[in-house]
Amino acid sequence: MSSAQIEIQLIASLVAIACAIPGTFLVLRKMAMISDAISHSILPGIVIGFFITQDLNSPLLIFLAAITGIITVVLVEYIQKTGLVKEDTAIGLVFPILFSIGVILIAKNANDVHLDVDAVLLGELAFAPFNRLLIAGVDVGPKSLWIIGCILLITIGLLFAFFKELKISTFDAGLAASLGFSPAVIHYGLMTVSSVTTVGAFDAVGAILVVALMIAPAATAYLLTTNLKRMLVYAICFGVFSAISGYWLAHWLDASIAGSITTMLGLLFLMVYLFAPNKGVIAVLYREKQQRTEVSLLTFLLHLRNHSEEEERHVNHLNEHINWQKVRSKTVLELALKNNMIVIDNHIVSLTEKGKDFTSQALDYIITNEDSKIEHMKDDFFLFRG
Amino acid sequence: MKSNIAIKVDDLTVAYNYKPVLWDIDLEIPEGVLMAIVGPNGAGKSTLIKSILGILNPIAGSVSIYGKSYEKQRALVAYVPQKGSVDWDFPTTALDVVMMGTYGNLGWIKRPGQKEKKKALEALEKVGMLPFKNRQISQLSGGQQQRIFLARALVQDASIYFMDEPFQGVDATTEIAIINILKELRKANKTVIVVHHDLQTVPEYFDWVTFLNVKKIATGPVKDIFNDDNLTKTYGINYKVSIQE
Repeated sequence: MSSAQIEIQLIASLVAIACAIPGTFLVLRKMAMISDAISHSILPGIVIGFFITQDLNSPLLIFLAAITGIITVVLVEYIQKTGLVKEDTAIGLVFPILFSIGVILIAKNANDVHLDVDAVLLGELAFAPFNRLLIAGVDVGPKSLWIIGCILLITIGLLFAFFKELKISTFDAGLAASLGFSPAVIHYGLMTVSSVTTVGAFDAVGAILVVALMIAPAATAYLLTTNLKRMLVYAICFGVFSAISGYWLAHWLDASIAGSITTMLGLLFLMVYLFAPNKGVIAVLYREKQQRTEVSLLTFLLHLRNHSEEEERHVNHLNEHINWQKVRSKTVLELALKNNMIVIDNHIVSLTEKGKDFTSQALDYIITNEDSKIEHMKDDFFLFRG
Repeated sequence: MKSNIAIKVDDLTVAYNYKPVLWDIDLEIPEGVLMAIVGPNGAGKSTLIKSILGILNPIAGSVSIYGKSYEKQRALVAYVPQKGSVDWDFPTTALDVVMMGTYGNLGWIKRPGQKEKKKALEALEKVGMLPFKNRQISQLSGGQQQRIFLARALVQDASIYFMDEPFQGVDATTEIAIINILKELRKANKTVIVVHHDLQTVPEYFDWVTFLNVKKIATGPVKDIFNDDNLTKTYGINYKVSIQE
C-alpha cells in the first residue's frame, strides 16, 4: 500500500467513527431524516464561509456550516410546532430551500473557483491526500485527516462526558427534564455535533455519504444488540469495516470511493437484516415456524390429557381426531417423543409425568399470563418467549 | 392534623398554542397524603403534573415544593411518566432503566457506580422484579414495565412522588403490588400524587382527591368530597359511585 492509500483509508475510517457516534443517537431518537436535512442545508454555510476565507478547510467555514445546520433544526421544529404540517413534511420544506440558496450562491459567484455542487454532494476521497497541512513548512499529513481527527476527538470527549445524559434524554425526555437534565440542551448539543461532523466529513466523503455513514451502521447495530454501549461499538465497527472494504471495492472496480463505501454499508445492512440472530428475517421466520409446531404440540398433549379412551390415542388415528395432515402429526409426535413427554406402547400414545407437568404449566401460563413461573421453559420453547 | 404543605400551586395557567389546557389552578397538597387526580380525557391531569415538575412552562402562576421553587427541590421529587411515553424497544435492560433514577442526584457528567447499582437492585427487589434485572425492556410485559418505572422512582428516595397513570394496562396482580407500595410510601409520610382513571377504586386506594377539568373542581379528603356532586361537575354526567367507609 502506498502512503496515499493508507491515508485515504484512515480518513474514511475516522469519518465513519465520527458519524457512527451521533448517528446511533439519531437513529434511537427516530431523527434519521434530520441528518439528511442537515447534510444538504449546510451548503449555504459552506459557500458563505468559502467566500469569506477562500479556503475549504477553514474553521470559520465549519462554524458557519454548523450554524446553518442548527438553523435547519430550529426551522423544522418551528414549522412542526405550528401543527399545520407533520415533521417529515417540515424537513422536506426546509432543507431544499436552504440547499438551493447555496446552489444559487455558487452559480452566481463561484464559477471559476474550486467549489461546485458535485464536490459538496459527493466529495472526492481520492483527492484528500493531495491537500496537505503544512506547519512551519513541514508536511504533517492531509488536511482532512486533521480536521476529522479533531472533530472525532471532540465527539468522543463529549460522548464520554455526557453518555448518561444522552441516554436518559433519548430514552425518557420527561424524566430527564424533571431531574434537571434539560432535553433541549442535549438535543441541540447532539444537533451541533451532527452538523459539525457533517461539515468536517463532506470534503472527504461528500454530504450524501455522511448520511449513509450516520444512519446505516447504527441501524445495522440496532438489529444485533439490546445494549446501548454495544450498539455504539458495533456501529463504529460496521462503519470502519465499510470504509475500508469500500475503499478496496472502489480500487478493484476503479469506481468512486464514496459510492463503494455506501454500497458496502447497504450490503452489510442487508446481510444483518437477513441473518441477525434474533431480529433478522430468517430468525423471525424460523421462530414463527417453531411456534406453530409448539402450539400443535400443546394441542396434542391437551388432547391426550383430556382423553383416556384408547381409540382417541391410537397413533394412526391421531390425524383423524385432531384433524391434522400426516406430516404434521408425525413432526409433533417426534417432538413430543424427543422431549420425553409421551410414550408409545403398542400404538397407544400416553402422557409421561413430564408431559403432564408441562401441559399443566403451559395451560397455567396461557390462562394467568404469569411470566415468572415458566422462566425455565423459555430456553426450550419459543412459545413462551413473548 | 396534617399541617405541612408539600406542594402549593398558585394561579397556574398552561396553554398549548394559546389554548388554555389548565386555567387558574390553586392547589395545596398536604404532606403525607396519597392523592388521586381525576378528570376526563383532556382535563389537563398530565399537564398539571408536568407543569409542577418544570417539564412544561406555564404562562402564568407559580409552584412551590415545601416553600421553594421546584428547581431548588428536585432532589425531593420523583416522577413516573406514562408508560407509553417512552420507546420500550430502546436498547437497555431493566436494571439500567432503574439506575436512571439515580442520575438526578449525580448531576451532570458524574457516572453511576456501585452505590447506585446497589440502590437500583434494592428497588428492583422491592417491586419483585429482581429476577428480571438483565432482561431487555421490550421483553417485559406491560405490568413488569410499570414496575420497573416504579422502581426507578423508588431509587430516587424522594419525599414526593408523581405518577402518571401507573395502573394503565397492568394486570390485577401488578395493580395490587403497586398500590401496596404506594400505601407503604404514605405510611413513611411521603406524599404521592397519582393521575388516575378508575373512579371505582378511588375510595379504596386514596385518601385525598383532586377533581380537575381544565379548572380545578374540588380538592380535599376523599371521604369529604368524593361525591356525586363533584363527579357530575367534573365529568358533566351523573356518576353513581357509592362511597365505602
